[in-house]
Amino acid sequence: MAVQQESQPIAAERTSTPGIAVRPEAAVAAERSGSRWGEMALNGLTILYFLFALFPLVWMLLLSLKPQEQLFTTYFRFSPTLAAYREVLGTGGGGSDFLRFFLNSLIVAVGAVLISLLVGVPAAYAFARWKFLGGESLLFTLLSFRFAPELMVIIPLLVIYRRIGLFDTHLGLIWVYQLITLPLIVWILRSYFQDLTPELEQSALLDGYNRVQAFVKVAVPLIRPGLAAAGLLAFIFAWNSFVFPFALTGSNAQTVTVGSLSFLGGATPRYNLTAAAALIALVPPLLLALSIQRFLVRGLTFGAVKG
Amino acid sequence: MASLALRGVRKEYGKLVALAGLDLEVGDGEFFVLLGPSGAGKTTTLKCVAGLEAPTRGRVEIGGRDVTDAEPNTRHVAMAFENYALYPQQTVYDNIAFPLRSPRYRVAPETAQVRIERVTETLGIGHLLRRMPRELSGGQRQRVALARVLVRPADVLLLDEPLSHLDAKLRAAMRAELKSLGDLQSTTSLYVTHDYQEALALGDRIAVLRAGELVQVGTREEIWHRPADAFVARSFGQPGINMVPGEVVDTPVGRGFRSRDGAIALPLGAVPVPPGTAVEAGLRPRDLVLGERPGMLAVTGRVYVVEPLGRQLEVTIDVGAQRIALVTPRERVEPDSLVTLSVPPARLILFDGTTGVRIPVGGGAPEAVVAADAVTEVAGRV
Repeated sequence: MAVQQESQPIAAERTSTPGIAVRPEAAVAAERSGSRWGEMALNGLTILYFLFALFPLVWMLLLSLKPQEQLFTTYFRFSPTLAAYREVLGTGGGGSDFLRFFLNSLIVAVGAVLISLLVGVPAAYAFARWKFLGGESLLFTLLSFRFAPELMVIIPLLVIYRRIGLFDTHLGLIWVYQLITLPLIVWILRSYFQDLTPELEQSALLDGYNRVQAFVKVAVPLIRPGLAAAGLLAFIFAWNSFVFPFALTGSNAQTVTVGSLSFLGGATPRYNLTAAAALIALVPPLLLALSIQRFLVRGLTFGAVKG
Repeated sequence: MASLALRGVRKEYGKLVALAGLDLEVGDGEFFVLLGPSGAGKTTTLKCVAGLEAPTRGRVEIGGRDVTDAEPNTRHVAMAFENYALYPQQTVYDNIAFPLRSPRYRVAPETAQVRIERVTETLGIGHLLRRMPRELSGGQRQRVALARVLVRPADVLLLDEPLSHLDAKLRAAMRAELKSLGDLQSTTSLYVTHDYQEALALGDRIAVLRAGELVQVGTREEIWHRPADAFVARSFGQPGINMVPGEVVDTPVGRGFRSRDGAIALPLGAVPVPPGTAVEAGLRPRDLVLGERPGMLAVTGRVYVVEPLGRQLEVTIDVGAQRIALVTPRERVEPDSLVTLSVPPARLILFDGTTGVRIPVGGGAPEAVVAADAVTEVAGRV
């Protein structure tokens, strides 16, 4: 899902920006050889893959609209109902914990990303611009958080969290989410900063700005596309995190990912409720991706230096 | 406004020595040109003055104040970068206004507007203020970068090859324009270039750099007529100076120069080296004349190539084993024909054959003639 959200806005931007539009090489090549068949085959394959990738989502949508007794039918005839959504959201009276979980997810994911940005943007800049003692190994350590399995640290973490009172708190989750969001943001943004010619900030230094001002006024605005991309990815990963909230929260700070699971826990697994919950949980990342599309502009630095 | 001094400035990047102890003094209001091939340390020198690079050793002084450890934004220095370094997300106007909005050089927006309009008018970019840098041509971007430097007060202006990436015609026009800019001429400026014509045309004084070391500092006349060594002599002039290897010999009328194959022999007058010393004789192509002239030495050779240079001709002539280039007004010169060329003995520049250092020759041209020549060289190319 994340991958699709990533590539789609960029592709849209390419075609909508005259002058700097970049055409897919395959399309150009196909046109040059004059082969319309090649183009059609390419389009066919793309559509085929699109259906393949989207099918689980469609299946989930169907599942969420089914009444409980038709859940396991495999043909597409059923009487659609919004009952599952009503029950998940608690609109039929009776109330629901789901909205609270949803809010928890929002708080911890947004909080984690904001803190990571606050720390990660200056860190990425420092890693990109200066060689300092231990810089490389620090960077690698950050990356290692991403490839170390979460399950490996979860038990000790649980013990520590219980002892210092962070178990089942928003702050506790935001803290541990830094393992997910910070490496991502630092690594992505470092390469963006490396692509900026240092002369831009040097010019700002000579224009009467100090180093912090040069960073804030010149460097940061130029990596906005990276900021958007890294922030979005970090949010999606934080939002989708399951293991950390599963182990480190009780009822107070529980997130959507864990909460959705509770519908499967009873005597009869309520797959339609889980599907509805998952689809509702899809909304925030989707909205975020759509709203920051315009920042995912390529080539913001065109014209900075002579080509 | 202030003087600028570098005292023993050395810069190392790991094992690489970019600057090997540079001593340089630029007077208040002087337009000083640093000339040298790429990798000579010109840009490193600018960055040390600007505070963007910290010298490994040595001091930088601006207006008598030691600024070696001062932050760049406290040095009152403006710099135009070789790659322009325009802020791509800002319009031309905002780019130029950027220093005037900084904490250090802030002025009222109305004052800024007046200044920006004045400077952009002078540079002929007044109609581009609403554009983005990416919508400008190279020449326009270069003017914007220059405007951003000129719009603000500065003790020292640093200009890093501002004309290097323009096409030849635009470069000549901009060179003339730079010269006419009063601000630029009255502010202490350090101008980096690898183009000898820019150096001759703009520099009050010129410093020639090679491999991180100063080879010579002097006025354009000194550099042109009394180059410190063969490297400096070769750095100036197009076509380049003719270098004829040979040795110092004794003749009945005093010391003389004889080329290795004996085809060229010239009197030298007083020379502080013994006969038999290996030397190189430097002859500027524009000093040589086709045909025999009284008071000059005639040498015979065969025309090898004739190339038209606008109103003039560049003629390459084989004299013995030597290939000598000269520039002459348009006239009929047939390739492969035998011609006589005349060498004014006073214009000969003698270099040591092994070290390349210039050897003073008795006599020498009067200063006034000399000054006029350097100017002609530049004018002839424009």
